[in-house]
Amino acid sequence: MEKLLKENDETYVRQLFEQNLKDPVELVLFLEKDGGDRLNQFNEQYHQYTEEIAKEISALSDRIKLTIYKGDLEKEKEYGVKNISALFIEGKNTSKNVVYYGMPSGHEFSSILEDIVDVSKGETDLNAKIKEAVKRISSNVEIFVFVTPTCPYCPKAVRTAHQFAMENKLINGVMVEANEFPEWSEKYSVYTVPKIVINKKVQFEGAVSEDVFLNSIYEALGIKLTF
Amino acid sequence: MNEFNLSFRSDVPREKDFDKGVLYDIAIIGAGPGGLTAAIYAGRSRLNTIVLEKVSLGGLIIVSDWVENFPGFPDGISGEELGERFRKQAEKFVGKIILNEVMNIRKENNQFYLNTEKGEIRAKSVILSTGSEPVKLPVPEEEKFRGKGISYCATCDAAFFKDKTVCVIGGGDTALHEAIYLSKFARRVILLHRRSELRAAKMLQEELFANPKVELKLNSIPVNVLGDKKVEEIVIENVQTHQKEALQVDGIFGAIGEKPNIDLVKNLVELTEKGFIKTDVNKETSLKGLFAVGDVTDAPLKQVVTACADGAIAVTSVEQYIKNLER
Repeated sequence: MEKLLKENDETYVRQLFEQNLKDPVELVLFLEKDGGDRLNQFNEQYHQYTEEIAKEISALSDRIKLTIYKGDLEKEKEYGVKNISALFIEGKNTSKNVVYYGMPSGHEFSSILEDIVDVSKGETDLNAKIKEAVKRISSNVEIFVFVTPTCPYCPKAVRTAHQFAMENKLINGVMVEANEFPEWSEKYSVYTVPKIVINKKVQFEGAVSEDVFLNSIYEALGIKLTF
Repeated sequence: MNEFNLSFRSDVPREKDFDKGVLYDIAIIGAGPGGLTAAIYAGRSRLNTIVLEKVSLGGLIIVSDWVENFPGFPDGISGEELGERFRKQAEKFVGKIILNEVMNIRKENNQFYLNTEKGEIRAKSVILSTGSEPVKLPVPEEEKFRGKGISYCATCDAAFFKDKTVCVIGGGDTALHEAIYLSKFARRVILLHRRSELRAAKMLQEELFANPKVELKLNSIPVNVLGDKKVEEIVIENVQTHQKEALQVDGIFGAIGEKPNIDLVKNLVELTEKGFIKTDVNKETSLKGLFAVGDVTDAPLKQVVTACADGAIAVTSVEQYIKNLER
């Protein structure tokens, strides 16, 4: 496949990583085996792009390690993989809870770069009040953020979900590329992006501020907001 | 843009990128064409400048598929790339643009205090370029079906309407752009407009008329949207005959105008009846030291090129304002 990153973009990303990466980061990518049952003409075209993006990113810093599992059901179980492709960003402040289902391309390419930097630094730039309120959450929260690569408002929602996940291991921050997973999109009636679904019950659309997002998590947990 | 493109929103903005102790010369709120042009001029004037953006760099223009009326690009340019170029040029002169939402603004003793998601920022002047957002459709079911078939961003949501029927409402440039873009995905596009003639640029109209997937419903307004869990039908009324008609559609895209984003300043400055910020020829508002540019203002034309011009004028005015302060 032809390279996706142009030469000057590569230089830009390499510099970004050089200046900002601290601790090692592992990208863990789950794909299907060549000719595997879960491949169809539809998702196959996306998988090769996802693999290429992950490879190109990890080649730009020696602090990023890429591990690819193809059709490894055991590992998929360990990571709680729900669909293919799945890409996890692992570091010291994550615990298999910062996830991309489908291609991190288009506007989401910047989300993955920013996620890698946050995970490597082991910190997010959420403000202190929000951080504290996120850390206080003591039950499991699953946040699905549906996006399309052409949506410029979506990275804000993806980043907020992922940053919350980095601050609290009980939070699972999940990006879903809506075009690639039509069954999920149908199940959650996605006709506009970004669409956010929390614990399968609280839903909202749009790139909202961090405190409004957090409010919805509290709402899904049935807690009156106290922060 | 193509779904396989890789796009860069910004450098990774960090909290320490702005110094909380500093008194900035200008705080620019909003990184669309107007704000980013102001940043270019401010940086070149060596004014200590901070640019803040809440969601997405480049402004509303980045959801335009193709821009053909911005001078310097004889073959046209995608809105996405144009926004990206504005950003790069601005960052060259003022450094990184900070993704940070401003919650409120107050002015005390000739200083502006911006309360933001990531802390307080002080500045001698403010250039507000917060732009506008689409006006919601005036049907009683708007809220019920927003996100369930009613949308205001074809670039974002067109993919959900592949081989479906969609209705675009409006008769200006935006509506025609949306209709033409959607025709690449949808099976059928109905353009609904309340007047007997479209308002959009004649060239766009010619392109629309030549598109076999698009059909026009003129002199018509939407009155109701029907459906169980999502949009299934739109009821329209002919404004001349008052006859109603139900059309089966899967999606409805609203493009009936823009509403200015004035929440930050609505209690600080004078507004027009329609809620746009009143500015003078120097782009100053009724509050000294607060300037406004682009779609949020009462300018008679709202285009990328006019927003850019506003940004350049505002910076020149800010320089004079700061000089007067120090006198």
